[in-house]
Amino acid sequence: MDFLSTLKIAASGLRAQSGRMRVIAENLANADSTATTPQGEPYRRRVPTFVSELNREIGAQVVRPGRILTDRSDFKSRYEPGHPAADAKGYVKTPNVNPLIESMDMREAQRSYEANLNVVSSTRRMLMRTLDILKG
Amino acid sequence: MPMSMTDLPLLAALKVKMKWHQGRQQVLAENVANADTPNFRARDLVAPDFRKMLSGGAGAVASSAAMGPARTNAAHLGGGGGKLGAGMAVTKADDWEKTPEGNAVVLEDQMLKISENQMDYQLATTLYSRGLGLLKTAIGRRSG
Repeated sequence: MDFLSTLKIAASGLRAQSGRMRVIAENLANADSTATTPQGEPYRRRVPTFVSELNREIGAQVVRPGRILTDRSDFKSRYEPGHPAADAKGYVKTPNVNPLIESMDMREAQRSYEANLNVVSSTRRMLMRTLDILKG
Repeated sequence: MPMSMTDLPLLAALKVKMKWHQGRQQVLAENVANADTPNFRARDLVAPDFRKMLSGGAGAVASSAAMGPARTNAAHLGGGGGKLGAGMAVTKADDWEKTPEGNAVVLEDQMLKISENQMDYQLATTLYSRGLGLLKTAIGRRSG
């Protein structure tokens, strides 16, 4: 139980949140990725997960990014008969990415990331205070 | 009986307090890191009972093993490789703050606790260096 293991825990949180940010960026970047054939599927939204695991070295519950799952909700569709992926009725399946949900997720990831950074700076200040005892 | 400087009741009590703040900082960091993990509930360390330590005299203060936070349930993990003999008591999370996936960490609450912990730790370290300053005065050197 010392400050260095506290910093390790906070670092695990930072890593997990930045992994989540990466998945959100993928979703947003692919918000318009449709298929090129009528049979093909467009981009399917991906969902990051978190797993809490016991780090035996420091004896604490750290967090790690879990498997990245896919969102199984229905695709949206758009009427565009000239599109190469349009079906017989002229509809094109578009990805099930909702930019509003993604930006809310992004804000939440950012908030959690900042909270972990706050833990790091607070722990650093405590560590410096400990060193100040030596100065007398 | 020879007595080392750190066995002085004042310094020993402050040492226990500082250890507790260190342990608490770790538990709070766990809560923040797991703020988005499903089914994770926020935890906190039980404060050591300084009143009991004071009434127990210097002997009780010196044995820091007795100062470990209470382990209220057999399923609780011993923290930090058991150096503190520490267990963690699960705090009751407010149900209305529980997210659909079962996470009950309130980030604002944790931030508040962390800054409180940091300030109390600063107080303890300041008192510790003042205590050392008293000793320096006693041996005839200017205190820092």
